[in-house]
Amino acid sequence: MADTNRKIQELLSDYAGALRDGSLPVFLKSLTRQEGKTMTCSDDFWEAAQVVRVLNGVGFADKAATADVGLFASRVDANIASRVKKAKSSPRARRTNHARPTTRTRKAEKPI
Amino acid sequence: MNRRLRNALKGLTAPDDDRRRRAMEPFVRETFQMFIRYLYRYLGNEVECEDVLEDVYGDIWEKPDRLRDVENERQLLRTVYLYYMRKRLREVYRRMNRHLYLSQNDLTNLTAPELGTLDTMSQSELKQALGRALGRLKARERRAIELWLDGMSVRAIANELKTTVGAVKMLKFRTILKLKKMMSEYCHDQ
Repeated sequence: MADTNRKIQELLSDYAGALRDGSLPVFLKSLTRQEGKTMTCSDDFWEAAQVVRVLNGVGFADKAATADVGLFASRVDANIASRVKKAKSSPRARRTNHARPTTRTRKAEKPI
Repeated sequence: MNRRLRNALKGLTAPDDDRRRRAMEPFVRETFQMFIRYLYRYLGNEVECEDVLEDVYGDIWEKPDRLRDVENERQLLRTVYLYYMRKRLREVYRRMNRHLYLSQNDLTNLTAPELGTLDTMSQSELKQALGRALGRLKARERRAIELWLDGMSVRAIANELKTTVGAVKMLKFRTILKLKKMMSEYCHDQ
């Protein structure tokens, strides 16, 4: 059975492990109400968490297998293209592109 | 900042949409490694890093105003983190929040925190600071951190150091706090 009342050093160790393995949601879900409170109240945890993130960046980011930059750039371009398309087809954009209809003001005009 | 990155930034902040779109490719080429390494600190997962970064670049294309006055790489990274990455990082775990026993504030602090002194340092500066700090630790403390950085589990480290899992967790916690103090001192000295 999983430990449901972890001490602060155990929480930090599990957080560091989750961050290293890329499974932060598993750690977040494993937290109990009591553990959440323990984390909130502990300044040491937040100080240490900052170093854990740095260690993660320095120790493991270089080993991460990332995509080819050229392929990634085309992914970004596709993302931008879809944003452009969305902006063109959204009703808000259409409204702002054209002049407002003047029928309302005409209705308000008093007949001579 | 190198010339290609400076030119790409100039193109990105141009008023013309097409020019901005053309400038995005060289910008991605120049910054991809820097940004993905930075994001890896917070996510530890290549796939999620790429997904977040794709949206970050999209946001930069849409609203590049924040990058107008950037003068060097450190400033660029800081600006991109504060105005583009943080928003996206928060979104990664926002949906989970209703099932968690963690306040929204703590969740944000854990997944997309404010920038501390260590966060603003470049990768090479951090490596240097960490190397120095590790050199000042006791042999057992240094060994625990080095084994951890080699990818060993807590149990494996306990076996290696011939101690218990609980003792290793405590040792790691104290050592990390020590490291924090030493690295902060290094930051102030610099």
